[in-house]
Amino acid sequence: MRDWDTTTRNRDQRLARAAPLTRGKVVQADDATALLEAVLEPGDRVCLEGNNQKQADFLAKVLAGLDPAQVHDLHMVQSVLALPEHLDVFEKGIASKLDFSFSGPQAGRLAKLLAGGQLSIGAIHTYLELFGRYFTDLTPRIALVAAQAADAAGNLYTGPNTEDTPVIVEATCFKRGIVIAQVNELVDQVPRVDIPGGWVDFVIQSPKPHYIEPLFTRDPAQISEIQVLMAMMVIKGIYAEYEVNRLNHGIGFDTAAIELLLPTYAERLGLRGKICRHWALNPHPALIPAIEAGFVQSVHSFGSELGMEDYIRARPDVFFTGPDGSMRSNRALCQAAGHYACDLFIGSTLQIDLTGNSSTATLGRIAGFGGAPNMGADARGRRHASPTWLKAGREARDGSGLTPRGQKLVVQMVETFREHMQPAFVEKLDAWELAENAGMDLPPVMIYGEDVSHIVTEEGIANLLLCRGEEEREQAIRGVAGYTPVGLARDRRAVENLRDRGIIRRPEDLGIDKREATRDLLAARTVKDLVRASGGLYDPPKRFRNW
Amino acid sequence: MSSYYEASARERLLGLLDEGSFQEILPPSARISSPHLRQLDTPAAFDDGIIVGKGLLDGKPVLAAAQEGGFMGGAVGEVHGAKLTGLLERALDEKPAAVLLLVESGGVRLHEANAGLIAVSEIMRAILAVRAAGIPVFVLDGGQFGCFGGMGIASRLCDAVVMSEEGRLGLSGPEVIETTMGVEEFDSRDRALVWRTLGGKHRYLLGEAAGIVPDAIAAFRDAAIGLLRQAQAPDLSLAAMQAEHRRLANRLERFGQCRDAIDIWRSLGIEEPAGLPLLEIPEFVARTQDRRA
Repeated sequence: MRDWDTTTRNRDQRLARAAPLTRGKVVQADDATALLEAVLEPGDRVCLEGNNQKQADFLAKVLAGLDPAQVHDLHMVQSVLALPEHLDVFEKGIASKLDFSFSGPQAGRLAKLLAGGQLSIGAIHTYLELFGRYFTDLTPRIALVAAQAADAAGNLYTGPNTEDTPVIVEATCFKRGIVIAQVNELVDQVPRVDIPGGWVDFVIQSPKPHYIEPLFTRDPAQISEIQVLMAMMVIKGIYAEYEVNRLNHGIGFDTAAIELLLPTYAERLGLRGKICRHWALNPHPALIPAIEAGFVQSVHSFGSELGMEDYIRARPDVFFTGPDGSMRSNRALCQAAGHYACDLFIGSTLQIDLTGNSSTATLGRIAGFGGAPNMGADARGRRHASPTWLKAGREARDGSGLTPRGQKLVVQMVETFREHMQPAFVEKLDAWELAENAGMDLPPVMIYGEDVSHIVTEEGIANLLLCRGEEEREQAIRGVAGYTPVGLARDRRAVENLRDRGIIRRPEDLGIDKREATRDLLAARTVKDLVRASGGLYDPPKRFRNW
Repeated sequence: MSSYYEASARERLLGLLDEGSFQEILPPSARISSPHLRQLDTPAAFDDGIIVGKGLLDGKPVLAAAQEGGFMGGAVGEVHGAKLTGLLERALDEKPAAVLLLVESGGVRLHEANAGLIAVSEIMRAILAVRAAGIPVFVLDGGQFGCFGGMGIASRLCDAVVMSEEGRLGLSGPEVIETTMGVEEFDSRDRALVWRTLGGKHRYLLGEAAGIVPDAIAAFRDAAIGLLRQAQAPDLSLAAMQAEHRRLANRLERFGQCRDAIDIWRSLGIEEPAGLPLLEIPEFVARTQDRRA
């Protein structure tokens, strides 16, 4: 007779080893090391909650301080590698295998450790893929998560930065794993229950509040007039023409410029109520003027943003907030919304090749993907229609005889030269060389060319949906690549022909006067202007102030 | 562009003076650039980062200079300094209604070492000579790089300084203090700390800035016209100097133990001192009326 409850019995054994350390669910911070030693077994799959913003930093330190003779060969499954401890566990021999999504801040060190053979990488995922694998073949045995507060029963209040916590805890708990939460405070009653206490095994009050990175704040003072020009083109040439109402913006000054032109330029074009109403977006401070001007009806967020708490609380019609008034974010659900429910993704990148593939990979760094590939990809499983989706689909299929269907708009917005005069347009992405050096199965392409609908540069908009054939597509890309080598190698006659057919459009073709593209057009030119626009509710982190 | 902070030195000067009145001396077309930078194979500017000339303010003749922070942070090199000193000395001959200095400078241009240091001392001597001749020298400080080092000292030798909140005035800049004294003493990346210590509002409350204006070229123009209308011969007597020294000694005694600008504001008797940085200028001026050191 086969045993059907080995995981449950194994769990019970682990809990029994931990029992002397705890009364109820609360464990003292001093006993955290002993707790992890009690519940961990070599080879365990462990999710150490590392998000874009919120970090289980205390538990990360404790884990990285364990004795590798006792705890070793852990398989880390976590979305983001942000802290040094996330890699210390490999350097010290506590963990040996890694599955992840994004490693921005640790990308260089990760590449070195991989080259030194100190870890093996299962795969580099998008967020949704990794979360999906939590529920298939990469379910954590132990989850180490972070929350704002807990009560004695283990109920967790995550605060606005809910992020990955629900998906991690759900996968771990319901496959009989063990959930340990670090919390900033223990309270008699949590303001709201984000994670039910029954799903949480242990809570530890960390000596210091968990770290949160203000990742989505862009100082309007740093937006250039070229970015203003490109934002004007996007609003007039794409948002207005396709009536884009459900969208996601990448992080960056290019898209911040769009957000800050809505109350000025888009308002003047009579677009309020016609574009940009529903967003899958972190609470970008740069969106405040557009919200105040009545452009924005709803915003659902992957995470929160430091300083936006009081503003969000005062705008419950716009943001998703709990009965306690504070925001609840959710990375998995917002990614799903971004993939299936949004009609447009727009973001910046570092390199674009001649077929429109784009990559942020640079040599010597393994940065991973995060969420952009899911947002910046046509959702081929989508069925519901919208005017935007139908128009894009028509443009892509017109005259082809293919079955009619819609398509998402995926827009890449880049200046032709980026920092240090590096061309943004290249014949071959650095990703190829990186893939070879790091032994990857595929070059790490962030957005595939076949998904890209438009490329916007200071030279104009290339509409790739209207291109017929590879050659036309290549000339359309060269035709907006400016003075980069790729741009200079254009076939002038072909590009003029594409312009005649409206596939390439220059600012003047769109009726945009370049002289008007000044910073005066921005609804906020400083962080302080954002504070003013919020009626004093936005409280920016110190590093963004000059007052 | 209405923001003084974001404008270039040339835009500030043209916006500040009566329209169409500005005549530049040694403009970029004269190609007077730094010989030192050339030797170091470092990019030069055809005006060496400073614009000097004459024009009208409120119909009255003035001489004016504007430093360009976009070129080497407005740092003072040999040519840059000589243009400014020359302008001040010209005032002794032309007797304008005032000299306006639109400062934006990190101090001496380190590439030019002693030549830059000498230039700064010549500027200071020239300022004092102009003031002794009864011609007021006014400083306007609202640029992105602030006003530090030699130009910080030079500014305080003038008749009056007008700042915006965004402007900064000091001797050593934040990074210099952090490097020499440690991050515990001064965290240069804590921008709120930097501005409440060196920014316009604090300088106004301490009395180092005579006036504070919103960040707009028009506001600086109005303030400069106000100074011009009220201008009177400075009291440069020994007794006046001694009184000033006593005032500074008292100030040190009164605030020497304060750890933060907010402590100073509190001891000045200002209500809700922590809220001062957020106030718009008219509200700020009203709240702090009769409370300045």
